[in-house]
Amino acid sequence: MIFRARFGTIAFFLGTTIAFAAEPAPISSEQLAKAIKTDSLTIPTPGELFAALEKPGKPDWAGQYRTPIPMTYRNRAQIALNLGGLIADGFIAVEAQDSQQVKNTGTDIIKLAKALAVSENVLSRGNSISEFAENSEWDALQEELEATQNEVKASMQSHSDQDLVILVSLGGWIRGTQVVSASIMKNYDERSAKVLRQPAVINFIHSKMNEIGAELRNEPLIKTVSDQLSALEKLVTFQPGKAPSLEEVRKVNQAVSKLMGEIQKKTDAK
Amino acid sequence: MKRRIAILFGLAIFAAVASLRAETDEEVEAHKLVLDLTGAFSNDGFKLRDGHWTGTIKPQERALIAVNLYAGNQYWFSAAANAKAKKISVTVYDENGKPVVTETYNSGNKASAGFSPTSSGQYFVSLGLLEGEPTTFCLVYSYK
Repeated sequence: MIFRARFGTIAFFLGTTIAFAAEPAPISSEQLAKAIKTDSLTIPTPGELFAALEKPGKPDWAGQYRTPIPMTYRNRAQIALNLGGLIADGFIAVEAQDSQQVKNTGTDIIKLAKALAVSENVLSRGNSISEFAENSEWDALQEELEATQNEVKASMQSHSDQDLVILVSLGGWIRGTQVVSASIMKNYDERSAKVLRQPAVINFIHSKMNEIGAELRNEPLIKTVSDQLSALEKLVTFQPGKAPSLEEVRKVNQAVSKLMGEIQKKTDAK
Repeated sequence: MKRRIAILFGLAIFAAVASLRAETDEEVEAHKLVLDLTGAFSNDGFKLRDGHWTGTIKPQERALIAVNLYAGNQYWFSAAANAKAKKISVTVYDENGKPVVTETYNSGNKASAGFSPTSSGQYFVSLGLLEGEPTTFCLVYSYK
């Protein structure tokens, strides 16, 4: 209803009328199976997830901050996973409208990105993040964080590090889901809880992880994470339109928190 | 055996190069056209996702992409094709392939479909070339 009410404005800007579409024919499961899936559009960003969580009421975003993670990882896969998690942290700080926290997270993002030898373009994003945070330009900051994530991934691809790209997305998804499930547990609301239904995201990430090189796939951390994705997929498979119960949310939170713990744990492995 | 390995290796190289290739002029043009269209949604508070999908499409064909959406958010999927396209359409389907009721905007080689999902999960966005010659398209989405 709210969506329709907004259409007058959109139609005004488009300078035309907007129609309500006649119903087209359904698509077969064979055709659906052939649909394109890309990292850049098929996996939602933390910003989209947090936007949906905010609809019933603004959560205590600052209450979801975590203690700073180590910046001295040596394992490239672990760096990529943590980079994704840090970008999600950046989105949390933007939602909390906390300039200092955005700047701190931005600095950490650049430190980890440097460890992966990403391009100069990414490094210059760090300055933009600080500048936008200084001026409390929250919308611009959200765009900058998304752009930083994409720039990191593009840089990985051009450096023949394609296998790390999916790990950045996965790290962001796990950290985002940890924050959202924790927030729902604090103040349970069925509308908010509905955002946790994302089995296809995990399924897609899992299939991409099965495509990565054998050497990387056999690293202990990657094996641990990959092994837990099937169980996680089951945990976020709820009936369409039905909100998970508080207990179901708790189970999701436990699973992603355990994974996040593994990801940010400092080991001496190369 | 060696020949098969050589072919596989060649295909792998081709795939890697294809994924890294720069966008063609037609793709850049289609991207620019669709960004012009999404300006209207930005004015209404929608955030444009920093990602896009380009490809080619023939008449009466459908290009289909999977997306994952959140209940509570509002979404607009927008597409534009080069001038060779006379009429395109954007349609959204749920995870079972059933069409979703959307608000639509169509203007020749530009089209959008918008809706607010009541269930989180996977959806499919279809782009159709209803009239015109084979062409390059670009699809993006906005949310709030």
